[in-house]
Amino acid sequence: MAESYRRSRWSNGLFVVPYLSVFLTLLVFPLGWGIWLSLNKVDLFGGERFIGLKNYARVLSDPIFGQAVKNTVIFVGVSVPTLVILGLFLALALNKTTKGSSFLRGVFFASSILSVTIVTLIWRIVFIPNDGLMALIFEYFGWQPIGFLSTTGWSLFSVGVATVWWCIGLPMMLFLAALQQIPKDLYEAAALDNASRWRVLTRITLPSIKSTIMLVAIIQVVMQFQLFGQAQLMTNGGPAGSSRPIVMYIYEVGFLRWDIGMGAAASQVLFLIILCAAMLQYWVSTRKEETDA
Amino acid sequence: MKKLLLGTTAVGLLALAPLANANTKIELQRFFGACEAEYGKVTDVSSAVGECGIITALVNKFEADNPDIDVNVTTVEWPGYDQLNAQLASRSAPDVVSMHYSAMSDYQSRGLLVPLDKLLKDQNIKPSDFTNAAISSVTKEGKVYALPFDNWTMLFHVNNNMMKKADLMKSDGKPVLPNSTDELFAQGKQFKDATGKPYLVQVTANETAVYARIFYTLLMQQDSKFFADPSRIDLSGKEAKAALTLMKDIMDKGLSTTNMDYPAAVAGFSNGAGGIAVNGTWLIGTYDAQSKQANNPLSDGYSVFPIPQFFKQKDVTYADGHGWVVPRGNRDDEKMAAIGKLFKFLYDNDYEWARTGHLPTVKAVIDSDKFKSLPHRSDIAKVAKTGQALPAQVLRQFAIQDILGEELGSAISGNKSMDDALKTAQYRINDLLENI
Repeated sequence: MAESYRRSRWSNGLFVVPYLSVFLTLLVFPLGWGIWLSLNKVDLFGGERFIGLKNYARVLSDPIFGQAVKNTVIFVGVSVPTLVILGLFLALALNKTTKGSSFLRGVFFASSILSVTIVTLIWRIVFIPNDGLMALIFEYFGWQPIGFLSTTGWSLFSVGVATVWWCIGLPMMLFLAALQQIPKDLYEAAALDNASRWRVLTRITLPSIKSTIMLVAIIQVVMQFQLFGQAQLMTNGGPAGSSRPIVMYIYEVGFLRWDIGMGAAASQVLFLIILCAAMLQYWVSTRKEETDA
Repeated sequence: MKKLLLGTTAVGLLALAPLANANTKIELQRFFGACEAEYGKVTDVSSAVGECGIITALVNKFEADNPDIDVNVTTVEWPGYDQLNAQLASRSAPDVVSMHYSAMSDYQSRGLLVPLDKLLKDQNIKPSDFTNAAISSVTKEGKVYALPFDNWTMLFHVNNNMMKKADLMKSDGKPVLPNSTDELFAQGKQFKDATGKPYLVQVTANETAVYARIFYTLLMQQDSKFFADPSRIDLSGKEAKAALTLMKDIMDKGLSTTNMDYPAAVAGFSNGAGGIAVNGTWLIGTYDAQSKQANNPLSDGYSVFPIPQFFKQKDVTYADGHGWVVPRGNRDDEKMAAIGKLFKFLYDNDYEWARTGHLPTVKAVIDSDKFKSLPHRSDIAKVAKTGQALPAQVLRQFAIQDILGEELGSAISGNKSMDDALKTAQYRINDLLENI
């Protein structure tokens, strides 16, 4: 009686129409339009003129873009491992059913619900000179004060600290969810074998949540490459552009200089960078799995 | 059933009633900060202090005087042009927007602003009512594109109490200020030796505008024609190097506070962090009000002066101003008439706005005894004559300011050599202007 599920009918495709229409309207169309804009000399209010790849040539030869790429890569290179390791550490520490750990999970996740404006306001109070928390601590110990937001090197570090504090909730929750999926009998078997804690961690826990570690890393790589609000509000990309990320460069070119074509070209370059980074990470992890197998 | 129908009709009519009596609504978008908690219901404008307080009270008073007009105010983060650009691009711009004179050419040249000649004429406001500096800043291709509201510039806000400690007060109760770079460094050292605090309170972190404005002033004082061609900047001359050298020496010789962003510098001067705040006209009202209160570092000890003439070629200070523009959009006659009423009200109350510290744009106000008797105005009166803007044809002045401020900051903090910073700034600005 029942029709084989293998037999396809065109009307089945209607089920994916709602999704496809949203996907095409909000993702594919803007992506295509962005690529088209990047090939044009165009400002915020129109006046399109096709100029081929000139915008890409300008972006790639701009030393400020090069500096922004370098800043962003350093930022991602430091913040993503920190988020993964710290998130994992917190998840391991709070993977209990006590009231205290439930409360602390809430505390560590709380920062994630704040807007970037609030987060940067909080960290500005910590880092500003004279009356800031760090300034007061340095003064108490008689140390030379550091301009955390206005010194090359420290400015990007300060943005990184605020970002890790803000973003730590999601990795922790994802790791917690993964940890709770590990069958208890594995731990019981390890206990019977008198396995050390380190051995349990490296032979049972980490291998069991390997795919989540990869998921968190890829999510964070994609997210942190899009750093913008924290840098703009805390340091305005300074000093000397030392904390200007790629998205801020795109914003400046597109919105302050009104050069939408060049901003769109820089956006496509960022898209490629993120795609390559995520693919590389995926390829490394799957290759390792194949080798292990 | 009949009752139900009657009831439904009555409810429907009640719901429509507000629409029938709907007031004309003006969407006004401005910077100048948000202070609803303190001034949200204040209609006594004379009791308000500071930019935010006075503009909020002015709008409240206008609404109270014109019950048929609602002004819906949206406050944007300074300078707010990102929001405006997005609104203009999506054809949803507000009816009235605050705009710097220096940004107007960008919008006017793309046909994004409505000419206001007729609107002002209908309200009996004549271009000749305004100061030349103001009306020339808002007149493009023979048409007026904004209601000029003020002119502003950077000033030396002085803490007389600290200057007294450093023996830098004259017998007439005014501070001793430098008339040359040598005097600047000598007095700065004298101040620091006596008080232990830096001579100048400057905005040096997370900010580019102040660096650029001071740099423009120092270039103009040397009579440098750095924008002789409005589509190119020339920073290759000795004037640019001399201006930057002075700015760097001030930091290197410890004459200035360091690492302060804008809010920190404003609060720092209030709290006695240094002798002289290099900041704008808009703070006069606030600092003056503080000086009239007891037991604070500025109590009975505040004065304000134009930036001294450090270079002898020309007595001049970089100046800009704020105006009210009407972005392009579909508005009926009723709304335009309401906007006209609002502009007339703001024009009539230019004195109240001038209490912020800004220079008024209405000739009758600037010539009035009432304005002249405001505190400190005689000390800064000459700015009305010595204020000078960049050539109006220079586009993207805010983007230029950002580039310039960033590169100057790099040199001043030692991250780049001065030659490198000036060369890079020139390259980046000209690249921007060539590609408009």
